[in-house]
Amino acid sequence: MLNQLRFTALEAVPLVVLLSGILSFLVISSSIGQLGRVGATDLIGKLMVVVIVRELGPILTALAVVGRSGTAITAELATNTVMGEVRALEGLGIDPFHYLVLPRFLGCMISVSVLIVLFDVVALYGGFVGASTAGMSGSRYLSIVLESLTTQDVILTILKGLTFGAIIGLLPSFQGLSVRRGPTEIPQAVIRGTVGSIVLIFVLSAIFVAVLQ
Amino acid sequence: MLSFEGVPLLRLSRDTFSRQPSGERGPPALFALDVKAHETVVVLGDESSGVDALGALAMGLELPPSGRTTLLGTEVRTLDRRGQLAFRRRVGYLPAGDCLLQNLSLRDNILLPLRFGSDFREREIEGRVDVILAQLRIVRVADVRPAQADQEERRRTAMARALAFDPELVILEQPFDGLPDRVAAELLEVARGGETAEGSRRTLFVTGQELPTLLRSRVDRLVRVRKGQAEVVKA
Repeated sequence: MLNQLRFTALEAVPLVVLLSGILSFLVISSSIGQLGRVGATDLIGKLMVVVIVRELGPILTALAVVGRSGTAITAELATNTVMGEVRALEGLGIDPFHYLVLPRFLGCMISVSVLIVLFDVVALYGGFVGASTAGMSGSRYLSIVLESLTTQDVILTILKGLTFGAIIGLLPSFQGLSVRRGPTEIPQAVIRGTVGSIVLIFVLSAIFVAVLQ
Repeated sequence: MLSFEGVPLLRLSRDTFSRQPSGERGPPALFALDVKAHETVVVLGDESSGVDALGALAMGLELPPSGRTTLLGTEVRTLDRRGQLAFRRRVGYLPAGDCLLQNLSLRDNILLPLRFGSDFREREIEGRVDVILAQLRIVRVADVRPAQADQEERRRTAMARALAFDPELVILEQPFDGLPDRVAAELLEVARGGETAEGSRRTLFVTGQELPTLLRSRVDRLVRVRKGQAEVVKA
């Protein structure tokens, strides 16, 4: 599981920081001008929390992890299956679910949750820079954003992280282990795992909005 | 120790390899074999004979279309999933193609079943693996990955992994393919657990396409599968 955490969380940090920093900078710097014209700059806090922290943060982080780790998980487990390693594990009395799937499942749940929190923290700082360059004082930006941010937002974000992480840990693993015929099936399994995970993440995001907000 | 009763091997090979059973009509020939304790039994057959499925059938990894297979008096497929996994730890298994985990070192491949399937402490496991590595003469390459090792070293590792629990019965699929006769003979002796005390010998069930000539005199029974049935070559 430590390997999974290193690969899924630690090595994805630069990508998540880059995505988060640029996205929040663009959204905040371009929104301040527009909102300023109608005298609604205070809405920047709501915009930051609702759009980036609550919705885009979890989705973009999960997509980044699907692209990096979901594909790798499917390809690795499919190769294990084709090479007869999974069957050999069963022959040795080792449950492939315990040895291959469980560490990936737990690793992805923890990794996605941690990366989403990181995404949100970097987004707040990216927005800070965006607000400063658009002429808003940093202290005002921070007070507006922190006023809009509630404990429920933080809990919801982590809940989404755990759920999306579970999807990325399980679906690609299942697709990888379902390969039967040979190596030519591996790319197809990777596609099924990736597309399936993306669709489920978007569907669950919609369900979260419909049910919890 | 191990028995096959009424298993239609040709139908199994057709299902597995999408081949027709050599133009045969009528009911399929049924395979039967009984392996007794401390015996070394070798079953040979060509690629389409279904012999390569016998190991998996015995371990309960595959279900025969009909007939039954019992291992140490138990039909493995009738156990629940957890029971099957626990039961298989009582038997050594070397699958065809070695099937070592590519992302683990040779040493870790041997450690794996002991870590997941025993209550030994880490120090005991390490000590046990050190002994097995020395016995199979792979200490020098213990820390390399399977892709970095040659065929002989990989086969020695797969054998070490199969013997990790010191099982009373060992099932070996094509264990000598591509090995020099001298190495094949050495591995056979290691798998049997030595020649000195008859009673301490392990039971060995070996499948493959051919057996090195040097080993023919060292096995107790040699059986060749023809048209789905066992023909005893050496009793």
